[in-house]
Amino acid sequence: MNDERHDRGDVELDRLFALARQAPPDISGVERNFETRVMARVRESREPWYAWAWRLAPIFLVLTILLGGWSVLYPPAQPADPVAMLASGAQEVALLDYLTGE
Amino acid sequence: MAAPDEDTDLVRSAIGGDDDAFAELVRRHKGTVLRSAARFARNPAELEDLGQETFLRVYRDLRSFRGDAPFGHWLSRITVHVCYDALRKRRREEKDVSLEVLASPVADPSTGNGPSAQLARMILDQAMSRLKPEDRLVITLYELEDRSVREVAELTGWSEGTVKVRAFRARQTLKRLIGGDDER
Repeated sequence: MNDERHDRGDVELDRLFALARQAPPDISGVERNFETRVMARVRESREPWYAWAWRLAPIFLVLTILLGGWSVLYPPAQPADPVAMLASGAQEVALLDYLTGE
Repeated sequence: MAAPDEDTDLVRSAIGGDDDAFAELVRRHKGTVLRSAARFARNPAELEDLGQETFLRVYRDLRSFRGDAPFGHWLSRITVHVCYDALRKRRREEKDVSLEVLASPVADPSTGNGPSAQLARMILDQAMSRLKPEDRLVITLYELEDRSVREVAELTGWSEGTVKVRAFRARQTLKRLIGGDDER
């Protein structure tokens, strides 16, 4: 009974393999212009590491322009009153004197 | 069919930096590589990846082609190794596969003719995805590509004994899966 079952399993499996062999996989979509894509990858793999730096150059250029524009449009805030500026400087000197014991 | 001597000349030119020569090699052999890789790919995108990876590896290793055997044999070995690597990687990614498609259509009495060729492929693909990568590789080359044990051994680099054991083990697992008495 067990042998019979194993035999049936072999027959079924062989039938499936035989059928599957009759249906070759469809590669037509991938095959089209395949060599062009492979050659693009080949050229890419040959590029030296610093080729990437040149590719990134436009990004850094745009970043520099944006940061420049930002600093022109939004300059850092400064105290408008020169007396207040001096006073704050004098306070620092006094604090320094106190800390150093002079 | 590509002429071996011409292949060797193209390899020499490609090593010398002639891109057109390598493109010609790809053009000549892409059908064989893709048909073989398609037995392991789950979709066209994966097939594209396997094909490209194979030829990239060929390009990198061109200098190690000695020319004492036809270029096609050397290329087949690389294809098999790329597919085996992909199977091992995939094995780590997918653990459970639905078995719904298995068992029922194999001995479907209502159709009279049994499963179609496409359905047979689908059933086998599902069942074979449960095999260990090395077992799947062997059974695919041996049963679906109809290669001899010796050829499979040459392609994989395993001994003929190992190939036989793996083919036997794969068949036993497939019979159990397709017969519907999965013990997992």
